[in-house]
Amino acid sequence: MKNVLHWNPPKGQHGAEVTYTVQYFIYGQKEWLSVSGCRSISRTYCDLSAETSDYEHQYYAKVQATWETKCSEWAETGRFYPFLETQVGPPEVVLKTGEKSISIVLTAPEKWKINPKDDPVSMQQIYSNLKYNVSVYNTKSRMWSQYITNSTLEFTWLEPSIQYCIHVESFVPGPPRLPLPSQKRCFSTLKDRMSALK
Amino acid sequence: LRRCLSSVDVHRIEQSFWDIRRALQTKDTFKNITILSSLKNLDSIKPVDVCCVTRHLLTFYRDRVFKDHQETSHEVKRKISKIANLFLQMQRTLEQCVHSQCGCSQEATNATRIVQDNYNQLEVSSAALKSLGELDIFLAWIGKNHRETSAA
Repeated sequence: MKNVLHWNPPKGQHGAEVTYTVQYFIYGQKEWLSVSGCRSISRTYCDLSAETSDYEHQYYAKVQATWETKCSEWAETGRFYPFLETQVGPPEVVLKTGEKSISIVLTAPEKWKINPKDDPVSMQQIYSNLKYNVSVYNTKSRMWSQYITNSTLEFTWLEPSIQYCIHVESFVPGPPRLPLPSQKRCFSTLKDRMSALK
Repeated sequence: LRRCLSSVDVHRIEQSFWDIRRALQTKDTFKNITILSSLKNLDSIKPVDVCCVTRHLLTFYRDRVFKDHQETSHEVKRKISKIANLFLQMQRTLEQCVHSQCGCSQEATNATRIVQDNYNQLEVSSAALKSLGELDIFLAWIGKNHRETSAA
């Protein structure tokens, strides 16, 4: 739920110093509100995470450019609905090895916090139907296989002496959201002791 | 309340709505007015009232919003009629599923009256357009509440 507004500089300013001011609006409320950290700034982004932290409301944002003695029209976003539009980051991935199996233990990411000291809120609490798309790559056969889970996966069918790589994406069934895949994790299975004894 | 509404129906509505969401919401210029209030107000609905409020809101969309809305774009019109048909299907599913277990408390009745009052504040075509643009609020509420109330 980290929500950052980005924009492009206006065209045709030819080196003039351009500054920007951002305002936001909570849908259903009365007026546009200013953003303390985004008044007359020269960067082209503004972090609105604190302003939009109530993910069940909907929001608009707008930005105005100022240069020399002139200023642009306000450029406005569409209606933004954090609850349905936020990109859910990848889960924490822990690999546990068993006698003849490997388990992938997945833990939901945490919601962005206004104050780092705040208690963590798991995205699982916000999206009880949060699921994970696990992709497993066999480096020998060069084959991908995919699994859907909501917490842990155990693989008992892995072949010995092979490197496997996995990456995991969180997803929430419903409107389309851009996925944020986890980093690739690789592990190798042990040699088959039986073949070693022959 | 047994879980009545199938998530398949909800997802099919979401997909159709998502395709026309920007078009609908951009035409809605009354940012300071909301028909369904925010999910927060709907969230105050107790689990026991979820069925009643769902039923009333489905009827509200069927009998007022879909009828009152004037649409010029054929593409948007097509998607809206698909959504309307899925709403009818959802209504039938809900009716068959709940039979008589769908009582309405005073709070549930008040909540749906607020929606009607909000609707009546605006000129009809603006109200219908705004209500359609707020389908994401309603669908998010259905998704949250018809998943969590799966235990009778």
